Amino acid sequence: MTEDARATTVLLVGAMMVRLALSGAYAKYVRTGMGDVLLVAGILLVGLGLVGVARALGFGRGTGGAHGHDHDHGDRAGWLLLGPVLALLLVTPPALGSFGVGRSAAVDVSSSGRTFDPLPAGRTTPMTLLEFDERTADHGGASFGTTPVRLTGFVTPANDRTGFRIARYQIACCAADAVAAIVRVTGTTGRSPIRDQWVTVTGTFQRSADGVPELRATSLTEVPAPRDPYE
Amino acid sequence: MRPVPTPASPSEAPPAADAAPPGRRARGAGLPLVTALIVAAVVLRPVLTGLLGHPAVANWATVFVAITVQALPFLVLGVAVSATIAAFVPPGLIARLLPKRPALAVPAAAVAGAALPGCECGSVPVAARLVSIGVTPAAAFAFLLSAPAINPVVLVSTAVAFPGRPAMVVARFLASLAASVVMGLLWIALGRDDLITPRRTRHGEDGPRLSVFLATAQHDFLQAGGFLVIGAGTAATLQTLVPRSVVDSVAGTGPLSLLVLGVLAVVVALCSEADAFVAAGLKQFSLTARLAFLVVGPMVDVKLFALQAGTFGTRFAWRFSLATFVVAVTCAGLVGWWLL
Repeated sequence: MTEDARATTVLLVGAMMVRLALSGAYAKYVRTGMGDVLLVAGILLVGLGLVGVARALGFGRGTGGAHGHDHDHGDRAGWLLLGPVLALLLVTPPALGSFGVGRSAAVDVSSSGRTFDPLPAGRTTPMTLLEFDERTADHGGASFGTTPVRLTGFVTPANDRTGFRIARYQIACCAADAVAAIVRVTGTTGRSPIRDQWVTVTGTFQRSADGVPELRATSLTEVPAPRDPYE
Repeated sequence: MRPVPTPASPSEAPPAADAAPPGRRARGAGLPLVTALIVAAVVLRPVLTGLLGHPAVANWATVFVAITVQALPFLVLGVAVSATIAAFVPPGLIARLLPKRPALAVPAAAVAGAALPGCECGSVPVAARLVSIGVTPAAAFAFLLSAPAINPVVLVSTAVAFPGRPAMVVARFLASLAASVVMGLLWIALGRDDLITPRRTRHGEDGPRLSVFLATAQHDFLQAGGFLVIGAGTAATLQTLVPRSVVDSVAGTGPLSLLVLGVLAVVVALCSEADAFVAAGLKQFSLTARLAFLVVGPMVDVKLFALQAGTFGTRFAWRFSLATFVVAVTCAGLVGWWLL
């Protein structure tokens, strides 16, 4: 790579990271806590790239000695960094969807072994799908009582006789390590929403025969994909 | 589209170019590069958008971008450390700090790995820098292997992922440290330094320190970053093509399960700060097998292989990765048998 190509590439990668961090689109790929880290790293790269561009143009260069002999050695692979930059400039790959549910590992709630206090009676409680699954695993869902809960997830196909399934991924670091929590929704009337549609369902816990956590829904709303698609 | 024109404006500034000192090369790639990007944007956009309509392709693209984006900050950290060593640490200082005898330098370097908080992408440029400033390669490799596995961030996340099982954290620390030291000692016994592709670029010799820092940072970032992209692409392809449920069908507790989870760690190429959470979910496997997953992952995986091949050469990377895999699985098996 020539000197200006190197500087331009570094600048573009940095700009991509800053843009991802500021627009919030990064939440589709990595956990939300990474935003600031991405921003700082992106700013550092933008600075490095800008200095490189300025030097390539001849600003602030005294003797020019430090760079004169090192071009095109061992950094040819650097061009490849333009791949993700182009991909993110042109299209935004979506958050993980139903394709990976069942292909990736399913969340394992028994390993957490958490126990829960009973839910307060009467008031509808919003809850992650993971907590719903964990409460189901804790003494057969005794902590639910009759309290209605509200869940938000995307529709994932399953060969259930009754109802449909919703899922949501947990990520520890990035989308590569995602595992899905799954809940079966029954009691809705009419046709099930289409695959990958995000929905918010309200209903009560119901003991299922086959061990899949089950919610008997009283209401179902289609919603836009949340900003942070993972739990 | 908005960010594309950004680099164009400086490239187009003609007065500065005319006034450039004689050291500047006349041929520049900045403007053609930006032009190519714009053309590619116009031509490729509909094609890419159409492709993303296919769920498998969308899944691939998401995982590919996710691995790259997740690794870039750690790469920046590693590159910053590497460039700092090149520019501001007196040559020979680190080599002098380590014990003279390689057999003692290896464990010292392996323990020093605990000081680099990050995942595996950051440790490759640092290890390469250590080799280039004259540290015994065996010690640099021990550092390369131990740093992503035994630093405090990774150990804490392991403790969080395995609540109530502190033995898992101890076992991970000991097995990873042991595997790193064994690999360093193996390199002393069997390794040939001619397997390592010499670093042809030498930034450390001339110019003011800031220039050296900037040039080294740029060079190391581009080199490691390019190979990171190859590794992320490979990992995304394997994750998309091979459902992880295949692994579930071979669950077991025997030595085979250690191998299966070791191979899984190589294939999925998880960040070492996240792999404990995935291991915690692999409940059908024994704790020892899951330990193998945690020990192998930060030392050998497809992303790391691409980075090592790009930095040290492919001939080196094959042998080193295979040997590391065997040593890591063995160490995990022994420590797991002892502690878990």
